[in-house]
Amino acid sequence: MGRHLHVSDDRLVEVCLEGTITTTENLHFASCEECSARRVRLERMLREVSDAASLEAERAFPADKLAAQQARILQRIEQDGRPARVISFPATQAADLRALRTRPAGRWIAAAAAAGLVIGLLAGHFAHDLPSFGSPARTAVVRPASAPETTATVRAVNASINDEEFLGELETALDGPHVAVLRPLNDLTPR
Amino acid sequence: MSRNRDGTERSERAERFDSLSADSAIAADVKALMLAGDRDAARERFAALVAGQQRRAVRLAYQYLRDTHDADEAVQDAFLKVFTHITTYREDLPFEVWFTRILVNACLDLRKARARRLRWVLPMERFGAAGSPQPEAADRTASTEDRLVEEARVKEIAAAVDQLPERQRTVFMLSHFGEQTTSQVSEALGLSEATVRVHLFRAVRKLRRLLER
Repeated sequence: MGRHLHVSDDRLVEVCLEGTITTTENLHFASCEECSARRVRLERMLREVSDAASLEAERAFPADKLAAQQARILQRIEQDGRPARVISFPATQAADLRALRTRPAGRWIAAAAAAGLVIGLLAGHFAHDLPSFGSPARTAVVRPASAPETTATVRAVNASINDEEFLGELETALDGPHVAVLRPLNDLTPR
Repeated sequence: MSRNRDGTERSERAERFDSLSADSAIAADVKALMLAGDRDAARERFAALVAGQQRRAVRLAYQYLRDTHDADEAVQDAFLKVFTHITTYREDLPFEVWFTRILVNACLDLRKARARRLRWVLPMERFGAAGSPQPEAADRTASTEDRLVEEARVKEIAAAVDQLPERQRTVFMLSHFGEQTTSQVSEALGLSEATVRVHLFRAVRKLRRLLER
């Protein structure tokens, strides 16, 4: 680097930011007033920017705030490793649920809805088999296969809603002659 | 600046990197403890890591976000993420490079969230008369002329830094406020060193234009 070949702006930035400087550059700065002044100006500007940033950050985060932040970070880490806490429902909602569970009308509605669902499912199942209704051989095959399944479904519902009388009627209806019950549906089915 | 002064600066920088290496060693300890299943000991050791990096992290996050609450949240989230993923930390990299990358991502996430919030949720009054979010927590107790001049200059500098394009600003902040070398910034941002230098030079040139009187 000659006397009149000045240090480039980009190199000056590197010198000021990274603090790396070659011997030649050092000699040049010592002999070139212009580059030396540029360097001083740039360093002053960068220092000012850095000081301003530090001042802003220190004002926004004084020592007590930093300590609180550190405590919060460690607390969050501690909580992160723990299993989730189960929060109980509020007492009023629990009481409402209990009242609903013990109300007789509610139980009947639930039983009727469950029964309706079962009947609907069974009707759908049998309606699917309607085209083969007229054939005795086919009926003989289908009925034994579906009978245990039906019983199992009914037993599950029986246990869950615990309404012997209603489900007894339902079982009777299902064990009876299906053909008579389902004939109107069969008549309505287009061929 | 004399040769003597240069020597002093270099040794300060070397000390800084020594302390960063110390943090890398602590991070490696935390990782080993976590892998050994000793979470409590890892957490205790992690406290030293937080203490070592917190001030730098806060300064960076605040410069990035210019909001105390957002900066606080970003720093907390970054440290939490570091602890959660410490087993993936590569000891061959300086810890602060890895941490800076996580912190910058946390800041970017918060900036995006804030932009969404401003666009959809908060009405225009958030901007107020100033037209841009203002730095918070200014201590108004001192009222001397010097203090006011200083305040004005700090605001002027902050406004100038804010005027930098996103990438230039990030590079400048990491390298100047975050005290990272070009290669560390390049690692942290996933950019080539040449690109980092270009952004850095442009940022400094623009700041000089805006600030030098």
